[in-house]
Amino acid sequence: MKYLSSQLLDDLYQQTEKNISKAIIEWQRIPGHQMTTQPGPGQWSAAQCLEHLNSYGRYYLPAIEKAINRPGKPKAAVYFKSGWLGNYFYKIMLPGNDGRPKKKMRSPKDHQPSLALNAVEGLNEFISQLELLGRLLTDARDIDINNAKVPISISPFIKLKLGDVFLFFIAHLNRHMLQAERALKCAEARSVSIARREPGHSALVST
Amino acid sequence: MTDLLILEKFISNIYPLSKEEVEIFLSVWEPFKAKRKTILTRAGDTERNLYFTTEGIQRVYYHDEMDREATIVFTYAPSFSGVADSFLTQTPSRFFAETLTPSVFLKTSFQQVDELMKQHHGIERMVRIFSNIAFAGVLERMIEIQCFTAEEKFKTLLKRSPHLLNLIPHKYIANYMGIDATNFSKLLAKVKI
Repeated sequence: MKYLSSQLLDDLYQQTEKNISKAIIEWQRIPGHQMTTQPGPGQWSAAQCLEHLNSYGRYYLPAIEKAINRPGKPKAAVYFKSGWLGNYFYKIMLPGNDGRPKKKMRSPKDHQPSLALNAVEGLNEFISQLELLGRLLTDARDIDINNAKVPISISPFIKLKLGDVFLFFIAHLNRHMLQAERALKCAEARSVSIARREPGHSALVST
Repeated sequence: MTDLLILEKFISNIYPLSKEEVEIFLSVWEPFKAKRKTILTRAGDTERNLYFTTEGIQRVYYHDEMDREATIVFTYAPSFSGVADSFLTQTPSRFFAETLTPSVFLKTSFQQVDELMKQHHGIERMVRIFSNIAFAGVLERMIEIQCFTAEEKFKTLLKRSPHLLNLIPHKYIANYMGIDATNFSKLLAKVKI
Protein backbone atom coordinates (compact mmCIF):
# COMPACT_ATOMS: atom_id res chain seq x y z
CA MET A 1 0.00 0.00 0.00
CA LYS A 2 1.16 3.50 -0.84
CA TYR A 3 -0.03 6.55 1.12
CA LEU A 4 0.60 10.27 1.07
CA SER A 5 2.65 10.54 4.27
CA SER A 6 1.06 13.73 5.60
CA GLN A 7 -2.44 12.47 4.81
CA LEU A 8 -1.78 9.16 6.57
CA LEU A 9 -0.46 10.92 9.68
CA ASP A 10 -3.43 13.32 9.62
CA ASP A 11 -5.86 10.44 9.38
CA LEU A 12 -4.19 8.50 12.21
CA TYR A 13 -4.14 11.68 14.32
CA GLN A 14 -7.88 12.18 13.76
CA GLN A 15 -8.54 8.57 14.82
CA THR A 16 -6.44 9.12 17.94
CA GLU A 17 -8.26 12.37 18.73
CA LYS A 18 -11.59 10.54 18.40
CA ASN A 19 -10.36 7.76 20.69
CA ILE A 20 -9.07 10.12 23.36
CA SER A 21 -12.31 12.11 23.30
CA LYS A 22 -14.23 8.90 23.90
CA ALA A 23 -11.96 7.90 26.80
CA ILE A 24 -12.18 11.33 28.44
CA ILE A 25 -15.79 12.29 27.81
CA GLU A 26 -17.51 8.88 27.98
CA TRP A 27 -15.33 6.43 29.89
CA GLN A 28 -14.15 8.67 32.72
CA ARG A 29 -17.71 8.89 34.03
CA ILE A 30 -18.35 5.14 34.08
CA PRO A 31 -18.30 3.60 37.58
CA GLY A 32 -15.34 1.31 38.30
CA HIS A 33 -17.48 -1.81 38.82
CA GLN A 34 -18.83 -1.54 35.28
CA MET A 35 -15.33 -1.16 33.90
CA THR A 36 -14.30 -4.42 35.58
CA THR A 37 -17.42 -6.48 34.75
CA GLN A 38 -16.70 -9.39 32.42
CA PRO A 39 -19.39 -9.95 29.76
CA GLY A 40 -19.07 -13.73 30.25
CA PRO A 41 -16.68 -16.22 31.83
CA GLY A 42 -13.21 -15.73 30.40
CA GLN A 43 -14.27 -12.70 28.36
CA TRP A 44 -12.33 -9.52 28.99
CA SER A 45 -13.85 -6.61 30.89
CA ALA A 46 -13.32 -3.06 29.56
CA ALA A 47 -10.59 -2.58 32.19
CA GLN A 48 -8.85 -5.72 30.93
CA CYS A 49 -9.03 -4.48 27.32
CA LEU A 50 -7.40 -1.21 28.42
CA GLU A 51 -4.72 -3.00 30.44
CA HIS A 52 -3.95 -5.16 27.41
CA LEU A 53 -3.57 -1.98 25.31
CA ASN A 54 -1.53 -0.26 28.03
CA SER A 55 0.87 -3.20 28.12
CA TYR A 56 1.59 -2.72 24.41
CA GLY A 57 1.79 1.06 24.78
CA ARG A 58 4.42 0.66 27.50
CA TYR A 59 6.59 -1.07 24.91
CA TYR A 60 5.72 0.70 21.66
CA LEU A 61 5.37 4.35 22.66
CA PRO A 62 8.92 4.70 24.06
CA ALA A 63 10.22 2.64 21.08
CA ILE A 64 8.44 4.99 18.64
CA GLU A 65 9.72 8.04 20.53
CA LYS A 66 13.26 6.70 20.31
CA ALA A 67 12.92 6.13 16.56
CA ILE A 68 11.63 9.68 16.04
CA ASN A 69 14.34 11.31 18.16
CA ARG A 70 17.28 9.43 16.65
CA PRO A 71 19.62 12.10 15.24
CA GLY A 72 20.46 12.45 11.56
CA LYS A 73 17.21 11.13 10.09
CA PRO A 74 16.10 12.00 6.56
CA LYS A 75 13.43 14.67 6.21
CA ALA A 76 9.77 13.84 5.59
CA ALA A 77 9.05 11.96 2.34
CA VAL A 78 5.96 12.67 0.22
CA TYR A 79 4.90 9.02 0.05
CA PHE A 80 4.86 6.23 2.57
CA LYS A 81 5.08 2.74 1.16
CA SER A 82 3.97 -0.03 3.48
CA GLY A 83 6.33 -3.01 3.96
CA TRP A 84 4.85 -6.51 3.37
CA LEU A 85 5.15 -7.69 6.98
CA GLY A 86 3.92 -4.37 8.38
CA ASN A 87 0.96 -4.45 6.03
CA TYR A 88 0.20 -8.03 7.10
CA PHE A 89 0.14 -7.06 10.80
CA TYR A 90 -2.07 -4.10 9.99
CA LYS A 91 -4.54 -6.14 7.94
CA ILE A 92 -5.09 -8.85 10.54
CA MET A 93 -5.94 -6.16 13.12
CA LEU A 94 -8.73 -4.66 11.03
CA PRO A 95 -12.31 -5.46 12.09
CA GLY A 96 -14.91 -6.98 9.76
CA ASN A 97 -17.95 -5.04 8.58
CA ASP A 98 -19.78 -5.88 11.82
CA GLY A 99 -17.06 -4.14 13.87
CA ARG A 100 -15.89 -7.46 15.31
CA PRO A 101 -12.46 -8.97 14.68
CA LYS A 102 -12.24 -11.07 11.50
CA LYS A 103 -9.66 -13.31 13.05
CA LYS A 104 -9.51 -14.32 16.69
CA MET A 105 -6.06 -14.19 18.19
CA ARG A 106 -4.61 -15.45 21.41
CA SER A 107 -2.79 -12.74 23.25
CA PRO A 108 0.84 -13.47 24.32
CA LYS A 109 1.25 -14.32 28.00
CA ASP A 110 2.90 -11.03 29.01
CA HIS A 111 0.02 -9.09 27.50
CA GLN A 112 -2.73 -11.10 29.22
CA PRO A 113 -4.46 -8.75 31.64
CA SER A 114 -5.20 -10.01 35.14
CA LEU A 115 -8.68 -9.84 36.64
CA ALA A 116 -7.70 -7.75 39.64
CA LEU A 117 -7.30 -4.32 38.09
CA ASN A 118 -7.61 -0.78 39.32
CA ALA A 119 -10.00 0.59 36.69
CA VAL A 120 -9.19 4.23 37.48
CA GLU A 121 -5.43 3.85 37.24
CA GLY A 122 -5.81 1.83 34.04
CA LEU A 123 -7.98 4.47 32.38
CA ASN A 124 -5.65 7.28 33.50
CA GLU A 125 -2.68 5.48 32.00
CA PHE A 126 -4.64 4.80 28.83
CA ILE A 127 -5.50 8.48 28.42
CA SER A 128 -1.88 9.50 29.08
CA GLN A 129 -0.72 7.02 26.44
CA LEU A 130 -3.16 8.44 23.88
CA GLU A 131 -1.95 11.96 24.66
CA LEU A 132 1.60 10.80 24.00
CA LEU A 133 0.56 8.98 20.82
CA GLY A 134 -1.02 12.21 19.51
CA ARG A 135 2.22 14.09 20.13
CA LEU A 136 4.30 11.38 18.44
CA LEU A 137 2.04 11.45 15.36
CA THR A 138 2.60 15.21 15.22
CA ASP A 139 6.39 14.93 15.69
CA ALA A 140 6.56 12.22 13.00
CA ARG A 141 5.49 14.76 10.37
CA ASP A 142 9.05 16.11 10.28
CA ILE A 143 10.77 12.81 9.52
CA ASP A 144 10.68 10.08 6.88
CA ILE A 145 8.35 7.40 8.27
CA ASN A 146 9.73 4.93 5.67
CA ASN A 147 13.23 5.32 6.99
CA ALA A 148 12.62 5.39 10.76
CA LYS A 149 12.35 1.81 12.08
CA VAL A 150 10.90 0.33 15.25
CA PRO A 151 11.72 -3.17 16.57
CA ILE A 152 8.52 -5.16 17.20
CA SER A 153 7.57 -6.44 20.64
CA ILE A 154 7.83 -10.17 19.87
CA SER A 155 11.34 -9.93 18.40
CA PRO A 156 13.86 -7.09 18.68
CA PHE A 157 15.50 -8.42 15.49
CA ILE A 158 12.48 -7.63 13.35
CA LYS A 159 12.19 -3.93 12.65
CA LEU A 160 9.24 -2.36 10.87
CA LYS A 161 8.85 1.03 9.23
CA LEU A 162 7.51 3.65 11.63
CA GLY A 163 4.50 4.23 9.33
CA ASP A 164 3.56 0.53 9.55
CA VAL A 165 3.99 0.52 13.33
CA PHE A 166 1.64 3.51 13.65
CA LEU A 167 -0.87 1.76 11.36
CA PHE A 168 -1.02 -1.55 13.22
CA PHE A 169 -0.66 0.00 16.68
CA ILE A 170 -3.69 2.21 16.06
CA ALA A 171 -5.66 -0.59 14.37
CA HIS A 172 -4.93 -2.70 17.47
CA LEU A 173 -6.16 0.17 19.67
CA ASN A 174 -9.36 0.45 17.66
CA ARG A 175 -9.89 -3.31 17.83
CA HIS A 176 -9.77 -3.48 21.62
CA MET A 177 -11.56 -0.18 22.17
CA LEU A 178 -14.48 -1.68 20.24
CA GLN A 179 -14.21 -4.80 22.41
CA ALA A 180 -14.21 -2.58 25.54
CA GLU A 181 -17.35 -0.85 24.24
CA ARG A 182 -19.11 -4.20 23.86
CA ALA A 183 -18.04 -5.22 27.38
CA LEU A 184 -19.35 -1.93 28.76
CA LYS A 185 -22.71 -2.40 27.03
CA CYS A 186 -23.05 -5.83 28.66
CA ALA A 187 -21.99 -4.46 32.06
CA GLU A 188 -24.48 -1.63 31.82
CA ALA A 189 -27.35 -3.89 30.71
CA ARG A 190 -26.59 -6.28 33.56
CA SER A 191 -26.42 -3.62 36.26
CA VAL A 192 -29.73 -2.17 35.05
CA SER A 193 -31.43 -5.59 35.04
CA ILE A 194 -30.14 -6.48 38.51
CA ALA A 195 -31.30 -3.14 39.84
CA ARG A 196 -34.76 -3.78 38.35
CA ARG A 197 -35.05 -7.26 39.72
CA GLU A 198 -33.93 -6.36 43.21
CA PRO A 199 -34.75 -2.74 43.77
CA GLY A 200 -34.13 -3.14 47.49
CA HIS A 201 -30.60 -4.37 46.89
CA SER A 202 -29.44 -1.93 44.28
CA ALA A 203 -26.74 -0.77 46.70
CA LEU A 204 -25.08 -4.16 46.21
CA VAL A 205 -24.61 -3.41 42.53
CA SER A 206 -22.54 -0.37 43.09
CA THR A 207 -20.05 -1.88 45.51
CA MET B 1 -20.69 35.47 17.58
CA THR B 2 -17.28 36.08 16.05
CA ASP B 3 -14.25 35.72 18.28
CA LEU B 4 -13.59 39.47 18.24
CA LEU B 5 -17.15 40.14 19.43
CA ILE B 6 -16.60 37.67 22.29
CA LEU B 7 -13.44 39.56 23.23
CA GLU B 8 -15.22 42.90 22.98
CA LYS B 9 -17.97 41.71 25.29
CA PHE B 10 -15.40 40.27 27.69
CA ILE B 11 -13.39 43.48 28.03
CA SER B 12 -16.51 45.65 28.30
CA ASN B 13 -17.30 43.76 31.50
CA ILE B 14 -13.89 44.64 32.91
CA TYR B 15 -13.77 48.34 32.15
CA PRO B 16 -15.78 50.46 29.69
CA LEU B 17 -13.36 51.71 27.02
CA SER B 18 -14.19 54.53 24.62
CA LYS B 19 -15.37 53.47 21.17
CA GLU B 20 -12.03 54.44 19.68
CA GLU B 21 -10.09 52.51 22.31
CA VAL B 22 -12.22 49.40 21.77
CA GLU B 23 -11.56 49.58 18.04
CA ILE B 24 -7.84 49.98 18.44
CA PHE B 25 -7.62 47.28 21.12
CA LEU B 26 -9.46 44.78 18.90
CA SER B 27 -7.20 45.57 15.93
CA VAL B 28 -4.06 43.90 17.35
CA TRP B 29 -5.38 40.32 17.58
CA GLU B 30 -4.97 37.45 15.15
CA PRO B 31 -6.64 34.02 15.11
CA PHE B 32 -4.62 31.06 16.40
CA LYS B 33 -5.48 27.36 16.71
CA ALA B 34 -3.71 24.60 18.61
CA LYS B 35 -4.20 20.84 18.81
CA ARG B 36 -4.65 18.96 22.08
CA LYS B 37 -1.53 18.95 24.29
CA THR B 38 0.31 21.70 22.45
CA ILE B 39 2.87 23.53 24.57
CA LEU B 40 2.21 27.27 24.21
CA THR B 41 4.99 28.45 26.53
CA ARG B 42 7.95 26.58 28.01
CA ALA B 43 9.54 27.20 31.39
CA GLY B 44 12.65 29.30 30.80
CA ASP B 45 11.15 31.16 27.84
CA THR B 46 9.61 34.59 28.27
CA GLU B 47 5.89 34.78 27.51
CA ARG B 48 5.73 37.03 24.45
CA ASN B 49 2.07 36.39 23.68
CA LEU B 50 -1.24 37.13 25.24
CA TYR B 51 -3.97 34.66 24.31
CA PHE B 52 -7.71 35.06 24.49
CA THR B 53 -9.41 31.65 24.57
CA THR B 54 -12.60 31.23 22.59
CA GLU B 55 -12.64 27.41 22.54
CA GLY B 56 -11.01 24.64 24.52
CA ILE B 57 -9.28 24.24 27.87
CA GLN B 58 -5.68 25.03 28.79
CA ARG B 59 -3.56 24.85 31.91
CA VAL B 60 -0.53 26.63 33.34
CA TYR B 61 1.68 24.31 35.35
CA TYR B 62 4.98 23.99 37.13
CA HIS B 63 7.17 20.99 36.35
CA ASP B 64 10.70 20.34 37.63
CA GLU B 65 13.60 17.93 37.14
CA MET B 66 12.35 15.82 40.03
CA ASP B 67 9.12 15.33 38.08
CA ARG B 68 7.14 17.34 40.58
CA GLU B 69 4.17 18.91 38.91
CA ALA B 70 1.66 21.51 40.05
CA THR B 71 -1.27 22.68 37.96
CA ILE B 72 -1.61 26.36 38.83
CA VAL B 73 -4.66 27.34 36.83
CA PHE B 74 -7.07 26.18 34.12
CA THR B 75 -8.17 28.64 31.46
CA TYR B 76 -11.18 28.36 29.15
CA ALA B 77 -13.48 30.56 27.13
CA PRO B 78 -13.99 33.40 27.42
CA SER B 79 -10.79 34.47 29.15
CA PHE B 80 -7.20 35.49 28.68
CA SER B 81 -4.63 32.70 28.71
CA GLY B 82 -0.86 32.23 28.84
CA VAL B 83 1.68 32.70 31.64
CA ALA B 84 0.48 35.96 33.18
CA ASP B 85 3.44 36.91 35.39
CA SER B 86 6.03 36.24 32.70
CA PHE B 87 3.94 38.23 30.22
CA LEU B 88 3.46 41.25 32.48
CA THR B 89 7.07 41.40 33.68
CA GLN B 90 8.73 40.10 30.47
CA THR B 91 10.98 37.80 32.47
CA PRO B 92 11.57 34.06 31.90
CA SER B 93 8.60 31.92 32.83
CA ARG B 94 8.81 29.38 35.64
CA PHE B 95 5.73 27.71 34.21
CA PHE B 96 4.57 25.83 31.17
CA ALA B 97 1.33 26.69 29.40
CA GLU B 98 -0.34 23.96 27.34
CA THR B 99 -3.65 23.08 25.73
CA LEU B 100 -5.60 20.17 27.26
CA THR B 101 -8.17 20.00 24.46
CA PRO B 102 -8.12 21.31 20.87
CA SER B 103 -8.23 25.09 21.33
CA VAL B 104 -9.05 28.26 19.44
CA PHE B 105 -7.59 31.62 20.46
CA LEU B 106 -7.04 35.18 19.55
CA LYS B 107 -3.40 36.03 20.02
CA THR B 108 -1.41 39.23 20.35
CA SER B 109 2.09 40.20 21.45
CA PHE B 110 3.46 41.98 24.51
CA GLN B 111 4.89 44.72 22.29
CA GLN B 112 1.49 45.52 20.85
CA VAL B 113 -0.32 45.49 24.19
CA ASP B 114 2.49 47.52 25.79
CA GLU B 115 2.34 50.11 23.02
CA LEU B 116 -1.44 50.42 23.40
CA MET B 117 -1.14 50.78 27.15
CA LYS B 118 1.39 53.61 26.74
CA GLN B 119 -0.82 55.46 24.29
CA HIS B 120 -4.27 54.88 25.75
CA HIS B 121 -4.99 55.48 29.39
CA GLY B 122 -8.24 53.52 29.21
CA ILE B 123 -6.49 50.40 27.88
CA GLU B 124 -3.85 50.60 30.59
CA ARG B 125 -6.60 50.89 33.19
CA MET B 126 -8.51 47.94 31.71
CA VAL B 127 -5.39 45.73 31.78
CA ARG B 128 -4.66 46.82 35.34
CA ILE B 129 -8.19 46.03 36.53
CA PHE B 130 -8.01 42.63 34.88
CA SER B 131 -4.66 42.00 36.61
CA ASN B 132 -6.29 42.93 39.92
CA ILE B 133 -9.08 40.44 39.34
CA ALA B 134 -6.52 37.74 38.46
CA PHE B 135 -4.48 38.61 41.56
CA ALA B 136 -7.56 38.35 43.77
CA GLY B 137 -8.23 34.94 42.20
CA VAL B 138 -4.72 33.76 43.10
CA LEU B 139 -5.12 34.87 46.73
CA GLU B 140 -8.48 33.13 46.96
CA ARG B 141 -6.91 29.93 45.68
CA MET B 142 -4.26 30.26 48.43
CA ILE B 143 -7.07 29.90 50.96
CA GLU B 144 -8.44 26.84 49.18
CA ILE B 145 -5.01 25.20 49.02
CA GLN B 146 -4.08 25.92 52.64
CA CYS B 147 -7.37 25.46 54.46
CA PHE B 148 -9.85 23.40 52.47
CA THR B 149 -10.31 19.64 52.71
CA ALA B 150 -10.10 17.65 49.47
CA GLU B 151 -13.88 17.45 49.40
CA GLU B 152 -14.28 21.21 49.84
CA LYS B 153 -11.71 21.86 47.11
CA PHE B 154 -13.61 19.51 44.83
CA LYS B 155 -16.95 21.16 45.51
CA THR B 156 -15.48 24.60 44.96
CA LEU B 157 -14.02 23.52 41.65
CA LEU B 158 -17.33 21.95 40.59
CA LYS B 159 -19.14 25.15 41.39
CA ARG B 160 -16.63 27.32 39.53
CA SER B 161 -15.93 25.06 36.54
CA PRO B 162 -18.35 22.10 36.40
CA HIS B 163 -17.65 21.42 32.71
CA LEU B 164 -13.99 20.52 33.36
CA LEU B 165 -15.02 17.15 34.77
CA ASN B 166 -16.39 15.94 31.44
CA LEU B 167 -13.84 17.51 29.14
CA ILE B 168 -10.34 16.93 30.48
CA PRO B 169 -8.47 13.94 31.92
CA HIS B 170 -9.17 13.70 35.64
CA LYS B 171 -5.46 13.45 36.43
CA TYR B 172 -5.13 17.19 35.75
CA ILE B 173 -8.02 18.05 38.07
CA ALA B 174 -6.53 15.80 40.77
CA ASN B 175 -3.17 17.53 40.28
CA TYR B 176 -4.81 20.97 40.52
CA MET B 177 -6.34 19.89 43.82
CA GLY B 178 -3.10 18.36 45.04
CA ILE B 179 -4.45 14.83 45.53
CA ASP B 180 -3.63 11.57 43.75
CA ALA B 181 -5.81 10.21 40.97
CA THR B 182 -7.21 7.28 42.97
CA ASN B 183 -8.32 9.53 45.83
CA PHE B 184 -9.85 11.81 43.25
CA SER B 185 -11.97 8.98 41.87
CA LYS B 186 -13.13 8.07 45.39
CA LEU B 187 -14.15 11.69 45.85
CA LEU B 188 -15.96 11.62 42.54
CA ALA B 189 -17.94 8.55 43.62
CA LYS B 190 -18.72 10.09 47.00
CA VAL B 191 -19.74 13.58 45.89
CA LYS B 192 -22.50 12.68 43.48
CA ILE B 193 -23.12 15.40 40.98
